[in-house]
Amino acid sequence: MNKELEHKFVTELENNQNIVHKVCTLYTTNREAHNDLFQEITIQLWKAYPKFRGDSKFSTWMYRVSLNTAITLYRKSKKSIKTQDFDSVIFKIKTDEYDATEEQQLHLMYKAVRQLGDIEKALVFLYLEDKDYSEISETLGISEVNARVKMNRIKNKLRTILNP
Amino acid sequence: MDELELLKKDWQKKEEHHPKLSYNDIYGMIKKKSSSTVKWIFYISIIEFVFWAVLNLISYNKESLELEKTWHIYEITTALTIINYLVLIYFIYKFYTNYKLISLTESSKKLMKTILNVKRTVTQYVWFNIGIFVAYLVVSLYGNLNYGVSSEKISEAASRAGNETLFWVMLIGIVIVAITIALIFIWLFYRLLYGILLKRLRKNYNELKKLEV
Repeated sequence: MNKELEHKFVTELENNQNIVHKVCTLYTTNREAHNDLFQEITIQLWKAYPKFRGDSKFSTWMYRVSLNTAITLYRKSKKSIKTQDFDSVIFKIKTDEYDATEEQQLHLMYKAVRQLGDIEKALVFLYLEDKDYSEISETLGISEVNARVKMNRIKNKLRTILNP
Repeated sequence: MDELELLKKDWQKKEEHHPKLSYNDIYGMIKKKSSSTVKWIFYISIIEFVFWAVLNLISYNKESLELEKTWHIYEITTALTIINYLVLIYFIYKFYTNYKLISLTESSKKLMKTILNVKRTVTQYVWFNIGIFVAYLVVSLYGNLNYGVSSEKISEAASRAGNETLFWVMLIGIVIVAITIALIFIWLFYRLLYGILLKRLRKNYNELKKLEV
């Protein structure tokens, strides 16, 4: 791999690192595991980069590789001891921006999303990222209709978790 | 669902809360080694290919050749060896092409299927080898019982036992039980190995597959 390619890749990833952080946030529960998954996704992105032709946006391509790493390749490391509630670090909500009930509601929502399965999380992630159903269906490899059906089921599931 | 919309708004606003990695942090990361499932499957597969190939090589020497000739099983074991190598080449080729197909830019479902196919190729290879191994064992046992040094002693023991048929049935029975136990252990070992490695992937793949039914 030449230096120029390395430089180009690292720069692009540096600018788009938020996508990877968001995936890590959904799929891990503490900082150590978060960094671990970030590391693995970075390696996979780098490995796949020579084949990235630029016919799609760098960020679109990143969604795919990052999610695929999280739900197929990644093995949760044993060492990830739950040291702190990650919500309090990552999902810190500025109190002056929100009223207390909204904040509470958000906290519960994040907690509920955490309880979903890997595939469900992937759908929620793409939904939160404002992807349309055709992109969701292409990313996961299911039909558009089934993506919609699944998303509705997830919404119901979240509702049940929130109001038991 | 109002809450999800609320979450969406918050989610997109959240960028600034994530830790920001520097250029050098990321640069350091691309130099590290992956610890992904696929990597493990790759290593395990290489070990398996080498293991069985080596086992074939070391079990085949001049002495065993002579022994096979005196046991009158030379032709059949030679045939087994040739088949073995042809199939080995076929499996290596298939493993290589399947492995090359793994692409993280594919859809999740297709990616998972490709990974499971790679794993299946290796498992098939292992079972094929075990099959050849058992065939070889049976042939050797047959040769040994009929032409081996202790074959007469065994026949004598059989006639002394009174009921010759029962003796042979029991002998065959013991061999079958021993082989079965060995196979169960190997099977359990594989279940455990790939079970640990692929548990998550398989679960997710089944969930995606279930959606399409």
